[in-house]
Amino acid sequence: MRKSFVGSALVLTGALAFLIVARAQTDRSGAAKTNAAAFDPRDLTGIWNPAPFMQPKGEVNPLDLGGHPNPLPPFTPAGETKYLANAKFIAAGAVLDCDPFGVSRNFFTPRPFEILSTRDRLVQHFEYYDNWREIWTDGRKIPTDIDPEYMGYSIGRWDGDAFVVDSGAYNGKAFLTWQGFPISESMHQTERWQRVDADTLKIVFTFDDPLNYAKPWSITGFWKLRKDWVLDAHPCTLSAIKEYDDRVNHADKLPGRDYAKPDSK
Amino acid sequence: MKGKLISGFGLIAGLLVVCVPIFAHHGGSDYDIQHPVTLKGTVTEFVWANPHCQVFLDVKDDSGKAVNWTIETLAPAVLKRAGWSRETLHAGNQISITLVPSKKGTPVGMLRKVVLPDGSELSGGALGEQPPQ
Repeated sequence: MRKSFVGSALVLTGALAFLIVARAQTDRSGAAKTNAAAFDPRDLTGIWNPAPFMQPKGEVNPLDLGGHPNPLPPFTPAGETKYLANAKFIAAGAVLDCDPFGVSRNFFTPRPFEILSTRDRLVQHFEYYDNWREIWTDGRKIPTDIDPEYMGYSIGRWDGDAFVVDSGAYNGKAFLTWQGFPISESMHQTERWQRVDADTLKIVFTFDDPLNYAKPWSITGFWKLRKDWVLDAHPCTLSAIKEYDDRVNHADKLPGRDYAKPDSK
Repeated sequence: MKGKLISGFGLIAGLLVVCVPIFAHHGGSDYDIQHPVTLKGTVTEFVWANPHCQVFLDVKDDSGKAVNWTIETLAPAVLKRAGWSRETLHAGNQISITLVPSKKGTPVGMLRKVVLPDGSELSGGALGEQPPQ
């Protein structure tokens, strides 16, 4: 009787274990299917955090900040001269002002951005310095009579499951990256955005700026979806920068924003 | 702003180490990221502000004289995601900080890690996603 009871208990325990494992496997499988089903390649909304380690090797690395980025973009002589002046300015420790970053430097800042979608626009909100970008999706062209701006003017359209963005009308005052790669008013930028999986956004940037670069060149970036994040406030204010200079830069004998820009001399 | 180029964003000090040497948006990268040091001392002030928070720490040198270190961190937004708040540190706290020091030899550095009075640790935050381990 006792053996019979123990045997029954073992059988029951085994059956329960089997059911639990089977259920767990079903859940994992089901969850995966749910994620796949929920993944709309044309839904770009959400908060995206950069994943610079995913950039293909051999490309210009916008976060190679050691002072000697390698490889460099295919500069024209004029572009190289501007880059060297910009790099000297940056190395002097004085890049901090509150001018808008321009589109590409916002992307290549290792901080998240949020994408919001409206009827006729896709809107990007970059956490760092609270920069905003509109990408018009209503079929319009880039106007030919607009004033150039730091953030330029952007239009977007779908090409299959890729969102293709064209932008121009840049004012040439921003840097392309933190390294000081220059931008001219003639720059045309193309971006090809693709959700390569539920949590990953890939964007290939192509910069066509004949004044500064001998040929169009590209950078591939990746971002990860952060469903549980909200963006924090990080505006740039001159008062905060001044306090920072007083407390930190000057304590380290650096000039801070008092250093004059190359083009202001 | 020593490493400030990096710092701006902070430098990342160790974090981005893998992919980003250091990010200092405000200036040249002059932090000695290869030689982090750990200091024990007393907090004299904690500034929770953009572009970077700052911890001011009295550290006694070999002669017993207190040297006030200026230690910057990443921005509040990044620290929050690493578990910090504006109430994390207060004047009088006895803490330990691991930092990368200025190459100039000044008592300035970029925070990588702090050990709080209760023994718990907080990192200085991360810029961007980190590679899978």
